[in-house]
Amino acid sequence: MEVIEHAPIFRMPALACDWATFTCHRAGFIPDHVTFTWVAMMLLGGLAFVASRRMDLVPRGLQNFFEVVLEQIQQLIDDVIGPEGRRYLPLIATLAMFILTANLMGLVPGLAGPTNNLNTTAACALVVFFAYHGIGIRKQGLVTYVKHFMGPVVLLAPLMFPIEVISHLARPLSLTLRLFGNMFGGHMLLAIIFFLMGLDGLLGWALSGNPLGVVAGGLGSAVVTVFTVGFLYPLKILVSFLQAFIFVMLTMLYISGAIEEAEHHGGEPHPAHH
Amino acid sequence: MRVLIAASVGVLAFPGLALAAEAGDGGGWLGPFAVIAAGVGMAIAAGLCGLGQGRAVAAAVEAMGRQPGAAARIQVAMIIGLALIESLAIYTLVVALILLFVQPIK
Repeated sequence: MEVIEHAPIFRMPALACDWATFTCHRAGFIPDHVTFTWVAMMLLGGLAFVASRRMDLVPRGLQNFFEVVLEQIQQLIDDVIGPEGRRYLPLIATLAMFILTANLMGLVPGLAGPTNNLNTTAACALVVFFAYHGIGIRKQGLVTYVKHFMGPVVLLAPLMFPIEVISHLARPLSLTLRLFGNMFGGHMLLAIIFFLMGLDGLLGWALSGNPLGVVAGGLGSAVVTVFTVGFLYPLKILVSFLQAFIFVMLTMLYISGAIEEAEHHGGEPHPAHH
Repeated sequence: MRVLIAASVGVLAFPGLALAAEAGDGGGWLGPFAVIAAGVGMAIAAGLCGLGQGRAVAAAVEAMGRQPGAAARIQVAMIIGLALIESLAIYTLVVALILLFVQPIK
């Protein structure tokens, strides 16, 4: 992938420490997605701090913006989980804003998108996986919760249990791969379109010093860039929002499934289950 | 049809033949087939995913036309369904990316 992607504007040097002798030496760089996960965290944390520093009853500016965003997410939670889902707003809203920020960071030239790496998306998906199981166990107790994996008929329990376990294990996998595949696939598409349109050649021509090359290569590069930014970036921004929405939506559905199963024994079909 | 089959057999056989001669520089003759598999697999996945998503969207739009009041809920359900359908094509994309970049089969 290093063939296609350029390095981001800054990288953090990594230290390798030997704890026997307490010596450290430089060893390569911290992976870009880790560095830029911290950038996204600092960005969101800083914005949240500034927005909530002086809170007014009549919100203005940044506080107003964040309140609108959180109210939208709360509305969504009310629709999908119900009023008892409001206590999970911190988890869901944090995931939504982090994933959206990370997706959009991937679009800025010079920044690396944390969600363009499988590890970040796997981390988010594992948080969701353990969170909804924890919520289900706390809400219903371990025995009742595990009993739902057995299905309604006792005779079919040995058949149902492995199927249910596999389907639950497939959830973090599909969450991970969906987000990663969409973001990284979009990245690849952008790179391939650039190569197909010959941006590298045009840029080389423009930088060659030949006056004709400067004019033709510069114009060509400008046309290629405008085309790509004009047509593909809106698509990628849409995909960024959509994937953040879908990730959060599925999180809410999983949580509501873990909470609700107590009331409807078996039988109730999930809106999104596979 | 026969021409098509002959052409595809030729295309699929060619990298193996071409590289059988110069095998030994670290890469075997299976590598080019992995590249072809990535491309063809992605094409099949994208096409069938398009069919599936088209059916889903058609049904959702029809339902929205019948019941404009429930349009918002139908839209949310449709988007989730589309995401679940699309994730199957995304699996193929990930496999293709692994074949192309990680290159477990050389």
